[in-house]
Amino acid sequence: MERDIEQLNSALSAIKVLRSNVRNVFDSVSNGLRADHGDEGKESKFVHELQELLTTVNNNLRDVENAVSNLTPPPGAFSLGNTTYLSQETTQERQALYGQLVNSYKWTDKIREYSAVAGNILAANSFNKTYKTFSTTKRRKTQTSNHNVPPEVIENLITSIDRLFPDVTFTTNRPLVPNPVIQVSLGRVLKAIIAFKGLMIEWVAVKAHAESNDLWAESRYKVFRKVTENCHAAMCHFHSPMMPELAVRSFMHWFHSYNTLFSAPCKRCGNHLHTTLPPTWRDLRTLEPYHEECK
Amino acid sequence: MGVTILTQFNTENRSGPQNIEILSKRILALGATQQGQFLVDCETYTSVPQLGHQRTVHVLHNSEQPATVFSLLETGAKTIPLATDGLFDLLMMKMSHFYTSKKQTKSESKGPRYEIGDFCVKLGTVTVSSNFKGVLVEVEYRPCVVPAMCWDLLKEFLQGFLGLSGPTTPPTYLQNRMQENYSPIDTIHQYLEHFTMFRKSPGIGMRP
Repeated sequence: MERDIEQLNSALSAIKVLRSNVRNVFDSVSNGLRADHGDEGKESKFVHELQELLTTVNNNLRDVENAVSNLTPPPGAFSLGNTTYLSQETTQERQALYGQLVNSYKWTDKIREYSAVAGNILAANSFNKTYKTFSTTKRRKTQTSNHNVPPEVIENLITSIDRLFPDVTFTTNRPLVPNPVIQVSLGRVLKAIIAFKGLMIEWVAVKAHAESNDLWAESRYKVFRKVTENCHAAMCHFHSPMMPELAVRSFMHWFHSYNTLFSAPCKRCGNHLHTTLPPTWRDLRTLEPYHEECK
Repeated sequence: MGVTILTQFNTENRSGPQNIEILSKRILALGATQQGQFLVDCETYTSVPQLGHQRTVHVLHNSEQPATVFSLLETGAKTIPLATDGLFDLLMMKMSHFYTSKKQTKSESKGPRYEIGDFCVKLGTVTVSSNFKGVLVEVEYRPCVVPAMCWDLLKEFLQGFLGLSGPTTPPTYLQNRMQENYSPIDTIHQYLEHFTMFRKSPGIGMRP
């Protein structure tokens, strides 16, 4: 393999030299007689020069033939898989895709190579000394995949949170079996549609009770659109892949503080309204209400 | 449908159009946009003496619920609300032998309708049998359905835009229903309350 590539490279460079020398010949022919050929016997000088150039080209051609004869022809056609279809692409801007594809293939190939090396080095210097103090049961708990958990675990989590807050009602449905979408009704104030990805919160949409349960449609009310925005911020803030249950619990605890959305004045300015919105932000630690502009 | 507060705006010796203009300017300065007009009307029918104990039926229409006819039957002891579709008007016409309408009491409130954030503000000129009676301001906070939760918020909004003449206590009709879910019929009750007050006090009537 290594030798093949070496030969291929030498063949390619031989072709390069040949091409450059052929170009010289044509240069010289197109220029014809020049001043540096002098006056006497300029024709014979020119012919002589041309002969020399053609001899080099001849030599180069022989080199190329030698290099090519050394190459081993590939066994049969290359299988390019689905990438062959790229050649049938008609739109102009996509025709460059093949080059990009090759680049990214090289890139991933390198990553694999490097990560294999890194994996070897890391395996030699074991970092997992600290985990060895845990008992096996505990370790298994931390190692569970958060994306792919059995439905019962999520079910248990939701019911345990349901028990925590008496004024919050939960309704669950499962459009995709491991990932439930729950509807959380916060008293008579608002409802939230929360989509889970395993044990992690994936998406939150806050709406009025009268509105549809569609996960993707925004609320028609400004205040709930703002609360949705803040819920997304909190969802990211509480997100913790190592302790997903805690993250969900803290999020729900924070979310529960919205039961005073309309009745609590802002902690900073003491007013209910600011730009016709009630305090839509709840402090992440103290759960105190603030306006967007006052926090 | 959110919580709605209906309040009378003190006329202070200004005419109806002047009051409406002042309030429009204020609400537009707060960043509101006008969204059409509104109309709430009320017609009162009384039962003929042959039916025995006299009963009154108030039939109201609200442009916010254009396909619904609201009626409130006063039997003396209690008031029975009813929300029906448009055919109820025709039914009342059929019953004109038993329930006669008092033409002098036909009242309505109409004017521009504004939206500002989640609030909906309506500035109504009230006329009773086409005599100008006063100005009614309706403010609706649409995301909330429980009056007790958003009363303070609505009070702040009303005072921010009506000044000192804004209400300090919830409307009498709502005072016993602060914890209940608000519905369109509650707005109708408030309108009837105010229309009845306007009818009883001919003194404040001024030319528009």
